Amino acid sequence: MAMAKSGGLKRYYNVNGWLFVAPALALIGLFMIYPILNSLMLSAYSGRGMMMRFAGFGNLVRLYNDPIFWKALSNTIVFFIIQVPIMIVLALLIANALNNPRLRFSGLFRTAIFLPCVSSLVAYSILFKSMFAVDGVVNRTFMALGLMEQPISWLTDPFWAKVLVIIAITWRWTGYNMIFYLAALQNLDRSVDEAARIDGVPSWGRFLFLTIPMLKSVILFTTITSTIGTLQLFDEVYSLTEGTGGPSNETLTLSLYIYNLTFRFMPNFGYAATVSYVIVVLVALLSFLQFYAVRERK
Amino acid sequence: MDYVTWRSHGLRAALAGVGLMAAAPAFAAEITIWCWDPNFNVAIMREAGERYTKTHPDVTFNIVDFAKADVEQKLQTALASGTASALPDIVLIEDYGAQKYLQSFPGAFAPMSDKVDYSGFAPYKVEVMTVDGKVYGMPFDSGVTGLFYRRDYLEQAGFKPQDLQNITWDRYIEIGKAVEAKTGKKMTTQDLNNGGMTRIIMQSGNAWYFDKDGELAVEGNAALKGALEAQAKMVKAGIVKPATGWNDYVKAFTSGDVASVVTGVWITGTIKAQTDQSGKWGVAPIPKLDIPGAVSASNLGGSSWYVLAKSKQKDAAIDFLNAIYAKDLDFYQKILTERGAVGSLMAARTGDAYQKADPFFGGEKVWQQFSDWLGKVPAVNYGIFTNELDNAVTANMADLTGGKAVDDVIKAIDEQAKLQIQ
Repeated sequence: MAMAKSGGLKRYYNVNGWLFVAPALALIGLFMIYPILNSLMLSAYSGRGMMMRFAGFGNLVRLYNDPIFWKALSNTIVFFIIQVPIMIVLALLIANALNNPRLRFSGLFRTAIFLPCVSSLVAYSILFKSMFAVDGVVNRTFMALGLMEQPISWLTDPFWAKVLVIIAITWRWTGYNMIFYLAALQNLDRSVDEAARIDGVPSWGRFLFLTIPMLKSVILFTTITSTIGTLQLFDEVYSLTEGTGGPSNETLTLSLYIYNLTFRFMPNFGYAATVSYVIVVLVALLSFLQFYAVRERK
Repeated sequence: MDYVTWRSHGLRAALAGVGLMAAAPAFAAEITIWCWDPNFNVAIMREAGERYTKTHPDVTFNIVDFAKADVEQKLQTALASGTASALPDIVLIEDYGAQKYLQSFPGAFAPMSDKVDYSGFAPYKVEVMTVDGKVYGMPFDSGVTGLFYRRDYLEQAGFKPQDLQNITWDRYIEIGKAVEAKTGKKMTTQDLNNGGMTRIIMQSGNAWYFDKDGELAVEGNAALKGALEAQAKMVKAGIVKPATGWNDYVKAFTSGDVASVVTGVWITGTIKAQTDQSGKWGVAPIPKLDIPGAVSASNLGGSSWYVLAKSKQKDAAIDFLNAIYAKDLDFYQKILTERGAVGSLMAARTGDAYQKADPFFGGEKVWQQFSDWLGKVPAVNYGIFTNELDNAVTANMADLTGGKAVDDVIKAIDEQAKLQIQ
């Protein structure tokens, strides 16, 4: 009798529980799981526009033989290998500096550094484009200061175009990451830092061996989100190069390539889906690696 | 700046839409149209709509202004998803992409062969929209090219307008060097990440990336080789002010930084918008390639209107396009005068506006010149992979201007193109 009753109660809670989560589950299923599975299926098809036929692993073979895909992949990897560490270190240093209680106007500085990341991606890209034009304000300033003889053609030189993209995304996202560090820093126990200071540990030592290890989980989080963000880099390069990924495909990213395959070139939705799965695999792999690198050692 | 103009145009379009809807009687047909460029296509379509409404007061128009890339993206997404409700009734498509859409989304566009008399249009425009003997769409503007130059700069350097007639690209470069020596201005501007210049010169040499059957024709293509060589020489000679993107490109010649530009006739409106430069401009035929079959005329861009097959207002939309764009000669005079739009309806060219001299261009009869050149534009097959080839060309442009041999560049373009077009 008691058994049956508790079984009934359990059942009651089960049914109700599932009813409560059912709407959310249905929406997730409809708008997340179904598109993911459908795009996986799509990646086995190939063709022009709606004239699709089953291609099996044909898209993977094409991927392997496609130099533009490899170019886009290597560009994307260059972007995140160079940009993510620069940005993380910058954000950490700035956060640490702004956390100094003796700093005056820290609110103003915080706002100023955070402000770029509330600006629209497209708006700031267009601004950067005009600032870094051959006769733009950046070149003119550098030349007036005597730092260079010839203007740099930021957007037409393969090397400088990459540098420009890195500068742009660093400017946009450093403040965003800094906010996470600032929040984490304010949660740290000040007494640890004070104890180290009394023991005579210099400030760089406290930063390197105390602050950073204590921020490990936040650093991991920002590294993963930044990596994913850079892997999906699209708006900036699209706006800076008017969708071409130029010069010479030097700023072509995987996302921009997917866009071109779908919208600029003869639409091949199947092949574009295959390329997008490369991003999925990369994000999964890199996230796993980063988790593995900072795992708790027992 | 761009954002602001975009917003104000959007707002204006929205207000215009509201205004039209409010004025319409109940149960009226509303034709929705997607196009780009508020000063050109949008304005012209608004004019066309007003003309049609005079005789058909029950029909109203909702003209939606997007960026060109956005029109293409939205169109492609909606076509792929198969939802007709997301689509407009009429959409503007650039000629280079027409075959791509017609072939990859069969049945999406309404054939109009039995309703429109296509014999009156420039043949190359009709060919672009023909698939398996059926013609889809209404031919609209032509992108016949010209050499727009600053009369005052060239005079300062000692050149008269007739010195620009029938010149080769080598001569153009020589003139450019002289102009810079005398005036300190670069001869022209170019965005090397944009394939437009290659396309202009190549088509003037009576060739395209593809042959008449649509097969890839990059290797052994004398016109393409000539186009690449000419551009490499121009950059090497230092007569080009490099541009980064479209706005920068336009700014170079509207601000008076460069002495000339080779581009499509549709730029006239933009140039004439600089009212303080009136009388300082001239138009000449574009320089010629030094190969057999080459002419001093070419084409850049140009687009046409297409009716969606699933549109509820399909018949009204076709009737509207037919009434205005295939029959109303006065309409063509008006859009030429006001917007600099050279239509592709041959009969329109006998109208008054085409005979007029333009004081902005120093009193030259520019429109007659453009319509003469239009008749000389070599008809080529744009194929379905022009964007892919454009990408292959611009990807190799840095190597070309960096000094790599033209034949090696062509080989690299060919290799990339072969992998891209499948």
